[in-house]
Amino acid sequence: MSVVAFIVLAVMLTVYVLLDGYDLGVAAIAPLVARADDERAACMSSIGPFWNGNEVWLVAAGGTLFALFPVAYAVAFSGFYLPFVVVLWLLIFRGIALEVRGHFASAIWHDFWDFAFSASSALLILLFGVALGNLLRGLPLSPQGYFLGTFAYLLNPYALAVGIFAVAALMQHGTTFLAMRVDGPPALRARALFSVLWWIVLALYAIVTVATALERDFFAHLAGWVAAMPILSLAALLWTRAAMQRTREGAAFVASCAFVASLLVTAAGTIFPYLLPSFPAASHRGLSIYDASPSATALATALTVTIAGLIAVVVYTSSVARRMAGKIAVNDR
Amino acid sequence: MDVVLVDRLQFAFTIMFHYLFPIGTMGIAPFIAFYTLRALRGADEEAERAAHFWTKIFAVNFAAGVVTGIPMEFQFGTNWAQFSLKTGSVIGQPLAMEGIYAFFLESVFLGVLLYGKGRVSPNLHAASAVLVWLGSWLSGFFIVATDAWMQHPVGYAIAPNGRIELRSLAAVLLNPFAWWQYLHVMCGALVAGGFIVAGVGAYYLLARRNESFGRRFVAAGALTAFVFSALTIFPTGDRNGADVTHDQPIKLAAMEGLFESTEGAPLAIIGMPDTHAKTLIDPIFVPDFLSFLAYGNFKANVKGLTAYATQLWPPVELTYYAYHVMVGLGTIFLAATALAVLMLWRRRLFESRWLLWILMLLMPFPYIGNEAGWIVTEVGRQPWIVYGLMKTTQASSPNVVAGETIFTLIGFLGMYFVLGVLFLYLTLREIASGPAGHDESAHATAEVPG
Repeated sequence: MSVVAFIVLAVMLTVYVLLDGYDLGVAAIAPLVARADDERAACMSSIGPFWNGNEVWLVAAGGTLFALFPVAYAVAFSGFYLPFVVVLWLLIFRGIALEVRGHFASAIWHDFWDFAFSASSALLILLFGVALGNLLRGLPLSPQGYFLGTFAYLLNPYALAVGIFAVAALMQHGTTFLAMRVDGPPALRARALFSVLWWIVLALYAIVTVATALERDFFAHLAGWVAAMPILSLAALLWTRAAMQRTREGAAFVASCAFVASLLVTAAGTIFPYLLPSFPAASHRGLSIYDASPSATALATALTVTIAGLIAVVVYTSSVARRMAGKIAVNDR
Repeated sequence: MDVVLVDRLQFAFTIMFHYLFPIGTMGIAPFIAFYTLRALRGADEEAERAAHFWTKIFAVNFAAGVVTGIPMEFQFGTNWAQFSLKTGSVIGQPLAMEGIYAFFLESVFLGVLLYGKGRVSPNLHAASAVLVWLGSWLSGFFIVATDAWMQHPVGYAIAPNGRIELRSLAAVLLNPFAWWQYLHVMCGALVAGGFIVAGVGAYYLLARRNESFGRRFVAAGALTAFVFSALTIFPTGDRNGADVTHDQPIKLAAMEGLFESTEGAPLAIIGMPDTHAKTLIDPIFVPDFLSFLAYGNFKANVKGLTAYATQLWPPVELTYYAYHVMVGLGTIFLAATALAVLMLWRRRLFESRWLLWILMLLMPFPYIGNEAGWIVTEVGRQPWIVYGLMKTTQASSPNVVAGETIFTLIGFLGMYFVLGVLFLYLTLREIASGPAGHDESAHATAEVPG
């Protein structure tokens, strides 16, 4: 049952990264693809109706982590107190910037909010990536699972590499979304940016994969299917490029989703069965899903409630999203 | 500095600031649904504009509620790790349900309500208004259920390792303490919603602009505020009080400033509690009335604070004053709206500028009333974080020190100050531009081709 709980949580976080990933990505690339004021507004409009709903996945995943693994919720968030509060502040700031930009008429305010929005979004991706990198690498933990290291410890080269890779991958994710949702010059620049970013993502992907394999003593400890995941990731990455070149933006976005999802599945499979692996990760210690679960009754209840609720959410969200689809033209406002 | 004190200050500040926005969303949502359904039924163009106007105000509230709500969701883990560790098996459930069952509903259908006009069918658009209302009220239920469990824990078992484990989710959600509390909280939100709508309407009438909308808003808002002011007092406030009397007698004694156990206890209308002398200074009493309110019997014995060890007392002054502020404001709301409804019935309300002034100036006070009610509930629960099971002093994060929480508290103060200024600016601007205006550019992110 703890395994099912791990899968549910991994799925929720993956959905969060896919969805909020594109709006974070669009924010991060906005200064590069949108120059004129109305182009920036179109970029904002392309994600305006969705970002709130996307961020709900993070809130829901947080609540679900609390219900499914209360021990991990308690020790992880208090253990990484300052970095975590910084993430919360960035999330607040970014939400404010996105919501209020359109309410100010003056160009000087637009400059300010655009910068605040793009910078906080890019920084958030970096921090999420660094956090994931540290989970993959393992952390110095007390026997109860509390983090024993320092803020500076978290900024090790491996974790930073994962963070930079995350920024590149989600920027690429953002270009596919923008090309799908927007018309005009931003879409053209997004395509141009994509063709550059793609090579960067490929290079970083190779570096991070090799580094992870070395860090984790990859082939000795991992299930076969996890070791085979990079083939899937590469295929998805190639598919994204092929679809983009044939100007099939919808397909490119789906392919990019597949690429990002495959990375996260690989990461989840690598960490499993730990929620907080101890450093070095190959030592097979840390806070596992079995240590962090509540009683069987509580876990069964939480799983039933979560899965039933999520099915309903997916049904009505996708039905609403289908009715609301369509392109946004730059001069349409 | 004591880390638990800073943790409590931080929680009090962030939750009280956050709660300002749910008061708005839960209070305004029914009005949006009402006007949207009116517009759907017939050719009532004004109702359609009114719905759109309140949806824009709602959206500003909702966005501020989301960004200030995210830290709440995670603060149990960051600042209250021992509490989360010990009780997560129970309170993680309603909190997870809030995200999955309520928050998704509210945010997805708010998207349809704001951006879906012309893209989805009119029926789905109107249904969205109702679903947003449902989502905001469900959200409130799960939060109140979580709090009610901390007030009156049920449906749990204590494991050998000392953790509190869930035994029955149904028992937690059907907690008898939760239901009157929930209804009381919702009535409080509707009083606020009524005063917001009536206050904006009164402003339009006093300023002699958007007068047709002004009359509608004043009438709808004053009626709503009147009905729910009454329901806030009876039965929901009365029954909530009965639950407190039964389950938390020390809180009752602190609320009423009753130090000595008394048969035929008097009700203190005003007075200042002196916890050293253990007496109420300069009180004005209604004889025997507290016994009647608590037990339905004018001669019943009500236990005073001195019947309990001082270590079990909540902060008496804060609990006492918050309670009296809440009750005093509630009485004023009922009186003012009763007068407004009377004048509405006599068809003189819209011309009575003095009463419109009162309605407009009362607009902020339901916020104070709602917050004061929560102070009574939460401060009055001390020294327990889970009543009878876990002390607040044992609940903080073991590896987080006061220096860190002071830093983050200062950060939240700064961030929320900026947010508060922006919120007021945006809301006042929406009110100034008014429901009749064609100022569609006000919501630039909304513009999508239809």
